Amino acid sequence: MVGLSVGEKHFIQGGIAQDLRTDGRRRLTYRPFNVETGVIPQANGSARVRLGGTDVIASVKAELGKPSPSQPDKGKVNIYVDCSPTAAPMFEGRGGEELSTELSGALQHCLLGGKSGAGAGIDLSSLVVVEGKVCWDLYIDGLVVSSDGNLLDALGAAIKAALTNTGIPKVEVAVGASGDGLPEVDISDDEYLQFDTSGVPVIVTLTKVGRHYIVDATLEEESQMSSAVSVSVSGQGRICGLIKRGGAGLDPSVILDMISVAKHVSEQLMNKLDSEISAAEAFEEES
Amino acid sequence: MEFVSPEGLRLDGRRPMEMRQIRGEIGAVAKADGSAFFEMGNTKVIAAVYGPREVENRSQQISDQALVRCEYTMANFSTGDRMRKPKGDRRSTEISLVIRQTMEACILTHLMPRSQIDIFVQVLQADGGTRSACINAATLALADAGIPMRDLVTSCSAGYLNSTPLLDLNYVEDSAGGPDVTVGILPKLDKVTLLQMDAKLPMDIFENVMQLAIEGCKAIANYIREVLLENTKQLEYRRGP
Amino acid sequence: MAGKSAATPSTYSPSPAPKTKRPIFQDVDWVRPDGRGFHQCRPAFLKTGAVNAASGSAYAEFGNTKVIVSVFGPRESKKAMAYSGTGRLNCNVSYTTFAMPIRGQGSDHKGYSSMLHKALEGAIIVESFPKTTVDVFALVLESGGSDLPVVISCASLALADAGIMMYDLVASVSVSCLGKNLVIDPILEEESYQDGSLLITCMPSRNEVTQLTVNGEWSTPRVHEAMQICLEACSKLAKIIRSCLKETASAPKD
Repeated sequence: MVGLSVGEKHFIQGGIAQDLRTDGRRRLTYRPFNVETGVIPQANGSARVRLGGTDVIASVKAELGKPSPSQPDKGKVNIYVDCSPTAAPMFEGRGGEELSTELSGALQHCLLGGKSGAGAGIDLSSLVVVEGKVCWDLYIDGLVVSSDGNLLDALGAAIKAALTNTGIPKVEVAVGASGDGLPEVDISDDEYLQFDTSGVPVIVTLTKVGRHYIVDATLEEESQMSSAVSVSVSGQGRICGLIKRGGAGLDPSVILDMISVAKHVSEQLMNKLDSEISAAEAFEEES
Repeated sequence: MEFVSPEGLRLDGRRPMEMRQIRGEIGAVAKADGSAFFEMGNTKVIAAVYGPREVENRSQQISDQALVRCEYTMANFSTGDRMRKPKGDRRSTEISLVIRQTMEACILTHLMPRSQIDIFVQVLQADGGTRSACINAATLALADAGIPMRDLVTSCSAGYLNSTPLLDLNYVEDSAGGPDVTVGILPKLDKVTLLQMDAKLPMDIFENVMQLAIEGCKAIANYIREVLLENTKQLEYRRGP
Repeated sequence: MAGKSAATPSTYSPSPAPKTKRPIFQDVDWVRPDGRGFHQCRPAFLKTGAVNAASGSAYAEFGNTKVIVSVFGPRESKKAMAYSGTGRLNCNVSYTTFAMPIRGQGSDHKGYSSMLHKALEGAIIVESFPKTTVDVFALVLESGGSDLPVVISCASLALADAGIMMYDLVASVSVSCLGKNLVIDPILEEESYQDGSLLITCMPSRNEVTQLTVNGEWSTPRVHEAMQICLEACSKLAKIIRSCLKETASAPKD
């Protein structure tokens, strides 16, 4: 992976300690990012997010399916992430699978909420067409095209943008459908329903290097981390998920401090992301 | 099915000898040694090149030339129906091999003995002609990585439907089952490095179709040359006087 | 045969599973299905030396949750692996086919192996066994809720039994958020209705958290409260693990 000399390591650590990182950022500043929506026309919604050297694409595809018997009033959402070998030669063949599973798991954990569906970024009950019979299955696919650290935050942002961009075809249920069989549905071609994505949380990862923690770490900085905490925060400032990575233990008070910092950072990120998404949507409509 | 209307227009409104809009861009992947984005109509691919570097697996090392490797992957969302298939299926393996052989033919491998060059191509959207688009993207990425080549390789496909030779088939035309000739050429040396066809065609018609594909390749080569020239100008400008 | 089954109805009694729809969890006061207080853990039973072939092993039983963890090694890493100056930890969590109410449902827990790895790696002194691998295999015999925390705590006991050097014992506890209440050490039924869950793995004597996951919607004060409850329970649990180890050590050897 990243082969760094002792001097380079000291340079990175020293910079973080002095609140001036190697690329000139402060500890809690994000790299400039750029959102592009509608990049995959075949999908119901898609977005590409570029965060410094990190480049990810998320697409949303909706298919009609059957709700699970335990939750007949809810649709299903699946999140898969793939790491393209273009991002790093180590992802060749099956090499990217481990990271892909970890990222998919973390995103599901952060965006889909608890078992009862509380705190989910996506309102699952809005995906139901006929209760217990037909619902929309959302397949969210993430693809890492280029990797320069902080993949989780970038993927989270891309999924939020893709969901905003998503149009679910309006479905008419044929009246008088028999009770037992699958009801006949008529999928409209030109009428689309938009998602309300204001509840979709953003993910902020704080990476701890030495005694300090930074946001939006690059690949080099991530190689120096002792541990990292990813917090997903909704627009109302509530915590929707939290995951700790890295082996080193943390003092409970440090974790609480990190959560409050993450909440603070998330507000700025959410505003920035929302304006970027609406700009991208406006640009897409124009062209 | 009618693929060419009486007015001489194809399903997507092109004329038989018209190519889809092509667009190439250098530098899609920041961490790679060379990378490019290439678009032919709705077919979009990204190529990244890593190397020349030390050979990872010592047993594969070649003492008098470079080892070229290639992997072709399709994104889950690249096709109309969402599919989730295991990596390394037969089609991907075959296309990986085709791209590797084509690129190996143009890279001056003897200049970089005991080293390895990796070419990764990722299909973002598939709408026919992915292997041509991948080869074109790989050429751009190799040039961006500064890897010595005999010439630029460019590739284009042509087909024969409704008794008309058609340039640059899209997915609908490709899946019609007619002949599909994919050609890769070295435009300056005027040599063919890749030729694939999977149907029956009379000899004289085949020559016509292949000639059409070659013309397409040459047009792409001109475009790629322009992109590279523009990129070099940019680099020169950024370096300053 | 028919007559026999009528005579001994107790041999096969398909008790119709209580099909109670969502219980009154939203209310402020309700009684937990097993009659515990909200902040009361299930009685824990721990025992070392469950598997003879392993270098160390432990059996844990928290209510209906029953797990066995066996630790093998440190033993030589696989030949294909590159040289490593530190030891490797390999974790695997599996379910028996009869662990869940519905047969073969245990495959939903693919992520548990990596979670167990993350929870333990911070506690083990990997420098103490270079070039070698320690394998931790956990088997959930019966799933009764809070499986992962029980597996983690049991694994740390098994590691101690195997004599693997650790900074401290690892204890793990989870809380479920059900409506307005925080419920510690939830059982399977409570877990299926939970609005959110929080899992903490910590090393109590060092006061360090090695793993923390939060799921579902929480406000910061709730997280704070839940963490406090968990940390207290963790230190109690660690004492139980410690006393179990002491018992094993002081028992007369035969």
